[in-house]
Amino acid sequence: MTRPRLAIAGLTACSGCQLTLLNCEQELPEIARSFELVYFPMAQSGAPPEAVFDAALVEGAVSTPGDLATLFRLRHASRLLIAFGTCALFGGVAAMNNATARREDLMRTVYAEAQGGFDSFPPAPFRNFVSVDFSITGCPPEKTDLIALLAALKAGTLPPTPCYPVCTECRSRENLCLLLERNELCLGPIIQGGCNARCPATGIVCEGCRGPVREANVAQELELLLERGFGRKEIERRMSRFRPEWDYGQRH
Amino acid sequence: MGSVIEINPLTRVEGHGNVKVYLEGTRVERVELCLTESPRLFEALLVGKSFAEVPEIVCRICSLCSTIHKVTALLAVEKALGVEVSPVTGLTRELIVSGGLIQSHSLHLYCLILPDLLELGGVAELALEAPELLKRGLAVKRVGNLIQETVGGRLIHPVNIALGGLGRRVGRDALLGLRDELEAILPDCREAFRIFAAKPPLPQLPVPYCLALDPAAPPLSGELFRLTDGRSFPVQGYREAIAESVLAHSHAKHAQVLGEIPTVGALARLNLGAPLGETAAGIFDTVKDQIVGRDMRGNSVAQAVELCQAAERSLTLIDRLLELGSGAAGNVALAPRGGRGSAACEAPRGTLIHSYSFDRDGICTQADVITPTSLNQGAMSRDLLALARGMEGAQSTLLASALERLIRCYDPCISCSVHLVRL
Repeated sequence: MTRPRLAIAGLTACSGCQLTLLNCEQELPEIARSFELVYFPMAQSGAPPEAVFDAALVEGAVSTPGDLATLFRLRHASRLLIAFGTCALFGGVAAMNNATARREDLMRTVYAEAQGGFDSFPPAPFRNFVSVDFSITGCPPEKTDLIALLAALKAGTLPPTPCYPVCTECRSRENLCLLLERNELCLGPIIQGGCNARCPATGIVCEGCRGPVREANVAQELELLLERGFGRKEIERRMSRFRPEWDYGQRH
Repeated sequence: MGSVIEINPLTRVEGHGNVKVYLEGTRVERVELCLTESPRLFEALLVGKSFAEVPEIVCRICSLCSTIHKVTALLAVEKALGVEVSPVTGLTRELIVSGGLIQSHSLHLYCLILPDLLELGGVAELALEAPELLKRGLAVKRVGNLIQETVGGRLIHPVNIALGGLGRRVGRDALLGLRDELEAILPDCREAFRIFAAKPPLPQLPVPYCLALDPAAPPLSGELFRLTDGRSFPVQGYREAIAESVLAHSHAKHAQVLGEIPTVGALARLNLGAPLGETAAGIFDTVKDQIVGRDMRGNSVAQAVELCQAAERSLTLIDRLLELGSGAAGNVALAPRGGRGSAACEAPRGTLIHSYSFDRDGICTQADVITPTSLNQGAMSRDLLALARGMEGAQSTLLASALERLIRCYDPCISCSVHLVRL
């Protein structure tokens, strides 16, 4: 049986999505046997420069000409391009100030005058530049989502994507509702589920790391939070942590 | 005639980087280490955010080190707000940090270094050529991760460790489960040094000038840095002691400490006398001639000593948490106030410093992060040049692979290193 050829790489990111693969300790030997890990610089030396792939799993936002060149190269070299994680899908933490600050000012804060040497633009998701065949969300992604994708790739297909909010799993776990019962700024109602409500289950609000659920009722979440005494500025700051652009008037 | 040998990208390290060796005939003119990770600008992104958001955002600097970034940020913010946490919270944080070290060192040793020792390309070949050894290494790594996930609620970017306390206290059953898992990997943790005691076949390198938090300080509350030559300086005064400069070819800054080029990490800690339990001390005794007063080729075996220490320490911490019973975690409420707080921790890769200033509404006005890899960058460049000069005339593929192996000795984390401090 042929082993699908994979590229696993990162752009502007924390390597957390790639690490998620290495964190599948029990499955990793099987993955290495079932796939050809052709290009995976984080864990593998000696990739042939002109390699082609069945699927490229790429994490990170696009924020430099180098990122863009890598993204184009992998798009051209791979039959499927997978946006791997929240940064690749929405821009992620690197993009949180896109709507509120100029890139030059941010660069100057960190690198002072020396910033002239580095070329950088506001971090953006893949789909601003290339077509994307599938995505895995989360900061970090769930191991189970990654395993499901690999299993589907092996079978020559792609897995289904769930579309229900974090609240669905949170309620079925019978967690205390942090938003309604503890009056905390929880984004669960508008965020894509699939994480089994990990954070609310430990008593920590949903910070929105998986991005918006389809048909999110953003306007109603905003009204609810305003009603409960949170400031508009604070709400927008929290909502843009992983995705800078929200339509606050969106209703479904 | 001049020529350049380029290694691009560096492989089996975290993040993006490359090395260029500039030759004049066979003579090595200079070596450039370029950490080309895209600028992430966390220090700028944090300005204007509330104190409560800072640790949740800043742990995203790096996934491999997210636990220690989060803990260091919590300590710095709590210091700025004048808060002290309960013993349960302190011990729980120490446990997750210990789990983070097990995961980080075992990832580095078994997935990134082991292929060099067996002359393989990486994890994929290991799975085919040395499946048993890889499996044992991954079993150790898995337990490090299990600690992080059980304590932190999430494996990467943990959430359960929070400002002032814990989201939820780790239950007795969960702790007992971790204890069983740890006991199962103890034999491998104790034997790891035998695998990694093999020195990389590289010529002798300059002896490092070691920097670490005072080994005599209680865990997660170090207030003093110690250096090889007996000098020291306070954490709160790190700005005066550490001078940094931006390099034209790299996105990470170069650091000097009290005028010297520092080295941080496992080898530095053991050189400065990090406290060890009985078994780890026994192992250290066996291999100390590769560590004490030695160059970075001894860093992998130093990590193996620390791996054993972290596994045994985790068991002690679990026992102490069990002794404390099952009451509330003793969370402390935080109120915004103006002020500045700096904290330092020993991350798996070395000394890590976070420092934040807040206005009276608790909004961040300044953020500073100094990471182990940015502290090590100067020493790495120095060693690369020494190695390249020591191998003048060697075949370019041999030189390139030796340089890559040297870089791996440092276990660099390049995502971390490009988060630079304000000038």
